[in-house]
Amino acid sequence: MESESSTKTVKKGKFKSKMAKHEALVGYLFMIPTIIGFSLYVGYPLLTSIYYALTEWDGLLPPKFVGLKNFAFIFKTDPTFFKSLEVTFLYVIYTVPISLILGLLLALLLNKNIPGIKIFRTMYYLPVVLPSVAALVLWLFIFKSDYGLLNNLLRLVHLPPVPWLESSKTALLSIGLVKFWGVGGTMIIFLSGLQSIPADVFEAAEIDGASWFRKFWNVTFPMITPIVFMQLITGMIGAFQSFNEAAILTKGGPNYSTYLISYDIYQTAFVDNKFGRAIAEVWVLFVIIMIFTILIFRFSEQYVYYENDSFRK
Amino acid sequence: MDISMPVKNRRSFKKRSLSSKIIRYIVLIIFAIPMVLPLLWMLSTALKNNNSVFAIPPEWIPKEFQISNFATGLIQIDFWSRFSNTMIIAVLCVVGQILSSLSVGYAISRIRFPGRKLWFYLIIGSMMLPGMVSLIPVFHIYSSIGLYNTWWPLIIPAFLGNPFYTFLTRQFMSTIPYSYDEAAKMDGASHLQVLTKVLVPMCKPLIATMAVMAFQGAWNDYMTPLVYIVDPKKWTLSLAMGQFMSGNYGTHWNLFMAADLVYMIPMLVIFFLAQNYFMQGLGSMNASGIK
Repeated sequence: MESESSTKTVKKGKFKSKMAKHEALVGYLFMIPTIIGFSLYVGYPLLTSIYYALTEWDGLLPPKFVGLKNFAFIFKTDPTFFKSLEVTFLYVIYTVPISLILGLLLALLLNKNIPGIKIFRTMYYLPVVLPSVAALVLWLFIFKSDYGLLNNLLRLVHLPPVPWLESSKTALLSIGLVKFWGVGGTMIIFLSGLQSIPADVFEAAEIDGASWFRKFWNVTFPMITPIVFMQLITGMIGAFQSFNEAAILTKGGPNYSTYLISYDIYQTAFVDNKFGRAIAEVWVLFVIIMIFTILIFRFSEQYVYYENDSFRK
Repeated sequence: MDISMPVKNRRSFKKRSLSSKIIRYIVLIIFAIPMVLPLLWMLSTALKNNNSVFAIPPEWIPKEFQISNFATGLIQIDFWSRFSNTMIIAVLCVVGQILSSLSVGYAISRIRFPGRKLWFYLIIGSMMLPGMVSLIPVFHIYSSIGLYNTWWPLIIPAFLGNPFYTFLTRQFMSTIPYSYDEAAKMDGASHLQVLTKVLVPMCKPLIATMAVMAFQGAWNDYMTPLVYIVDPKKWTLSLAMGQFMSGNYGTHWNLFMAADLVYMIPMLVIFFLAQNYFMQGLGSMNASGIK
């Protein structure tokens, strides 16, 4: 009796393991795109670039090992790299918080079912769909100091014109404006978050006679902290890598005032053909982004509210 | 006495809600102006003749419409050949993104294979990886196998399961009850059949969202073509617009604006046709997944 049942389980086990093998095979077949993609776009670059960062390499001849020379150069000799770091930091610190606040503000405005609200939603989101190059070309014209839209508007209210992209004092602030024009992307994610808050939470607050601000600060905001957190991370990673703004609006100028680090890396690699040095710069950028990400994660542990704790682990 | 209080309250509440509504509309309009004004300015410029572009104060409605700007502007950036270049790339990218993310998303959410969890975390982890990290090593691979100055580096990655789309697919598929699969498997369906016959029809909104987003991504991309494509015949529209701006700096703005507007049109059309898919796709990025 006992032996019979044990042979049964063995048979069943064999069958099961055969099934499991089959499942594993099929699973990996379905995974092929990611396996190749991950190796090519994540694994290989991460592994090799550690070595490439320590070489002198023009992309054509084989790389020549030079130790930490690239890092010594970018931190000690290169006048542009520190400048680009400084500009990029300023740009991130300036654009990311404003985008978040503005996006949340617009989402709160739109989160009310009143007639015509969809038209406003469409208008706010419209700039996001435009190709980035098309939008930047348009803004290049808007920023023209003599006949551009902005200075025309300033003239209309008798204010002095601003040299938007032409002065090193205002150029970085100006390219931020283009980013804020596309705030609809942040807004729409906040909006979907706001709309997923259950209504009964508000009813409770309303019965207590809470003011608008109290309701926002004590009910709405805590509920959407996971989204604020996620947007902060993605917004920060994106802003650190902003490229098109510098490439199309300013070419990094005037006087390197918009020389964003991605543009610097692009110039070093594909204009000066210094691949090794460019990869060293990428590593510095990568480490900075990682530090910021970890800091935000640490910080968020205290403040982010998760309705469903299983999401965290 | 007891009754009058609530009535009074209700009245003041109504009044308050009306005034708050009016304030809301006013603020909505104030924010809508900077969103829309640049586009109106662009349209107005695209219709002006060259002298009115420099007129101060500006003519918002041109005295004389110069529709020929569109024809001239398009010729200047060699629009149609670049339009078809971009279109071919974008369509292939859409096909690739959908096929690869359905396949991987299915594997991660439905097939029990060893290392499934690990791969899922790797996918999430690679979403966080800055794109700049892979730029140069990947460039080196493509150019060493002779794919520099071809469209392949723009198209191939679409077939390799972009982490964000695979993540979306996995999230979407895990909301579909497993019992559908089991019913199909009882009838002897293989995994491929379950995916194509059972899940794909239920994933239509997801597929539409991904198609819209992948098309947008390919149509708008600037850095990848800038790095890979030197031959002007193979340029995409984004590259052509960008290069033109740096070349003929600020002479014929009316022509540029006309061409720029036409470059935007496909995105605008898709946006107005598939608005909900745009919003859904982005909305689904929030932590709770697709609703």
